[in-house]
Formats: sequence, C-alpha cells, structure tokens
Amino acid sequence: MRIENLAVNKNGFAFDPTSGETFTLNETAKEIIEDLARGVEEKEIAKKLSEEYDVTQEEAMNDVLDFKEKLKLYGLLS
Amino acid sequence: MIIAVSGVNDTDNPGPGIGVARSLKEADSSIKTVGLSYDVQDPGNFMDFVIDKSYVLTYPSQGWEPIFNRLLYIKESYGLDAVIPTLDAELPSYIKYQDDLKEAGIKTFLPNLEQFELRSKENLGDISEALKISYPKTKKVFNIDQLKKAVNEIGFPCVVKGNYYKAYKVKSLPEAVYYFTEISNEWGFPILVQEIVNGDELNVIGAGDGKGNLLGLVAIKKMTTTHLGKIWNGVTIRHEKLLKVAEDFVAEYKWRGPFELECIVDEDNIILIEINPRFPAWVYFATGVGVNLPKRVLDVMFDKNSDMSGDYESGKMMVRYTYELITDIEKLSELATKGESNG
Repeated sequence: MRIENLAVNKNGFAFDPTSGETFTLNETAKEIIEDLARGVEEKEIAKKLSEEYDVTQEEAMNDVLDFKEKLKLYGLLS
Repeated sequence: MIIAVSGVNDTDNPGPGIGVARSLKEADSSIKTVGLSYDVQDPGNFMDFVIDKSYVLTYPSQGWEPIFNRLLYIKESYGLDAVIPTLDAELPSYIKYQDDLKEAGIKTFLPNLEQFELRSKENLGDISEALKISYPKTKKVFNIDQLKKAVNEIGFPCVVKGNYYKAYKVKSLPEAVYYFTEISNEWGFPILVQEIVNGDELNVIGAGDGKGNLLGLVAIKKMTTTHLGKIWNGVTIRHEKLLKVAEDFVAEYKWRGPFELECIVDEDNIILIEINPRFPAWVYFATGVGVNLPKRVLDVMFDKNSDMSGDYESGKMMVRYTYELITDIEKLSELATKGESNG
C-alpha cells in the first residue's frame, strides 16, 4: 500500500518517494488518505465525513469507496 | 591537482562536463579544471567560474592520435593529472587506450572494453535476465525485409533504435523505414525494433570501484524533459528495488567507473532501457543531494579514502534554468586562433 509512504503536507501536496509522482489533494482527499494510511476502517472514515460535511453515512461511504478506486487507478492502493 | 573533463557543451542538450567540473570544484577548491571542447563556442569555454583552462580538440572521428597528442601537450604546458571523458563518441578510444594514458601519467577510471560492450543494446536482454528484471521485446534487423517482419510482429507504435545511439518512436512502416535508413547510415547495423513499454521513466546514477563495490547511487524521476528527452526538472526518489538492481549490476559485472541506468518502472516491474557507461548530464543533481560521484571517482583514482555513504533524501528537486553570460570576443578569438584559452 503505497499511500503509507506518501508524504502529504498541510497544503494537500502529496509526494510518492518511491515513484516520484506528485498529487494535489483537496481537504477531503487528504483526510481520507491520512486515515487510510493510519489503518482507519472505511466505515469509521465515512462516519466522520458524514458528520463533518452534513451528508448521510451511505453517501459518505459511496464517496470513500469511489475515492479508493481512484487511488487504485493511480497505483497507490492495491 | 589538475583534472580535465570533456562534454563542456552546456547547451539545451548538455554534456555532463560542467556538472562533473562543478562537483570537483565544490569538493575541493584547489582542484584546477581543464575543459576539453570540440567547439570553440561551447559555453563551458566561457564559464571561468567552473573551468580554469579550455582546450579545443579534434573530433573523436579523426582518430585517437590527435586527441592523445593534445592531452600530452596539455600535460606538458599546463599540467594534467587525470581525465574524465563524458561523451559517448569518445569513450571507446579512452577505454581502449587507457593504459597509454596511464603510462603518460594521466589517470582515468573507466570500464574495460568487455564491460563497455555490455551496454550494447544487443546485450541488454542478457543483463536484464541476470539482474532479474525485464527487457522490452526487441528484434535485431539488418535489412528492410527483416524490419517489415519485426514491426509486424511487435506492432505499432514501436521504437526503431541504433545499437548504441538514437531512438525514434514510429507509428507506420514508412516512418520505420525512414529512421531505419537514417540510423543505419549514421551508425551502422544492427538496428533494433523494440516494443513500447509503459510506466514511469526512472534513472539511477552510480559508480563502481571495479571490484564489485559501489561508490554511491542516486535514483531520480525526470519530471520535465526537453524535446530531446533530456531532463529539465527532476526529483530524487528512493525506489529500493531499483537501487538494489543498480547495486547488483555493479556487483555482478564488477563495473569500474560511472554509469547511468535508464529504466521504465511500473510499480515493482523494472524494465531496463539503457546503460550509459559515463556520468549523465544531471550528475550535479547527485552532488547537490550529498553524493558527489565525480569526487568519489577521483578519490579512488588517487587511492584516497572517500565518503562512500549511500544516504540521500527523497523529494529533493533539481530545477535547470537558462542564464546569459556576457564576455569579450577576445576569448573566442584566442580559442579560434590558438585552440586554447584561460577560463
């Protein structure tokens, strides 16, 4: 799981020290990546997001799963 | 100590010479650098903050003797302890005649001819196998019929390349035939037809001591390149598998001197594209992150102890830029008439 190695700064700029790839993350993406890298469960992440952004837990869960697919596309998650 | 470097053509298609000279000067300001140039207008001839003395040489295509005599002249008139050649076209001669240079009191630190031949693209498949990495599907061709067969088998787009120099991406048979003719006219045969592989272009610079030990390694990703594919901006990375491949390469082949590995990397799949038996033009990048390979090579040449640590940080960027230097035409006049000038 390469996201564990991602160096993410406070502005949401992420650098992958293995491949040299860089990414610009919005606040939500940054939060999800940091939580996934810490091993937080998807359910927990969705719950937290639903409270922060005033959406249902189901909507938040869909967004988390959708974002995880994007991370796989970039080779950051297996 | 007086060290000569070639490749002082610090243009938009830069040679490695200025990076090598800058690395040496930064490590030891008492080192005098001599620029060996093939064109009076090479920028390095005017960069007196890096090059102390410049000499114009005849092209390597004119044979070894004029170059050797020029080096003897430099040794006699200015002094010369070692030479670091950095250009592909001159390396075979320097490698072949390194013992003559040694006898004349001019040190080098180069691979032997057998090691040099390893970089031939014909041999990269075997090296890749020995290093347990991949090599793109490649066909060797000597005529148009073989070329047609090879491109049909590999499919378009593919790459048509020379055994040592030049590579072009082609999308059709007429394009393939055009570059086949162009490369073979200039560089001879065989011509190689190679599949295109996808992934990140990652490069490693390093040097070996000739006994299987590393003098240092730095891996980078090219972030932006010129239209010739030369690095403009880059970032250091720590791809441990790629670094291990470079380490294995030095150990397996007892590589002597500097090298650059050009690879395409898709996750953990490493595909070897090219081995350059010299410093790349971005050699100063490694120096800037703490791995001064020209100085380490020099230390080995002169049997000095050197810091051979492999530590460097990932996430360090190299940003190349253009700059204008204003000087007097007198310097050009000296180079054009006498073939030498003070830096």
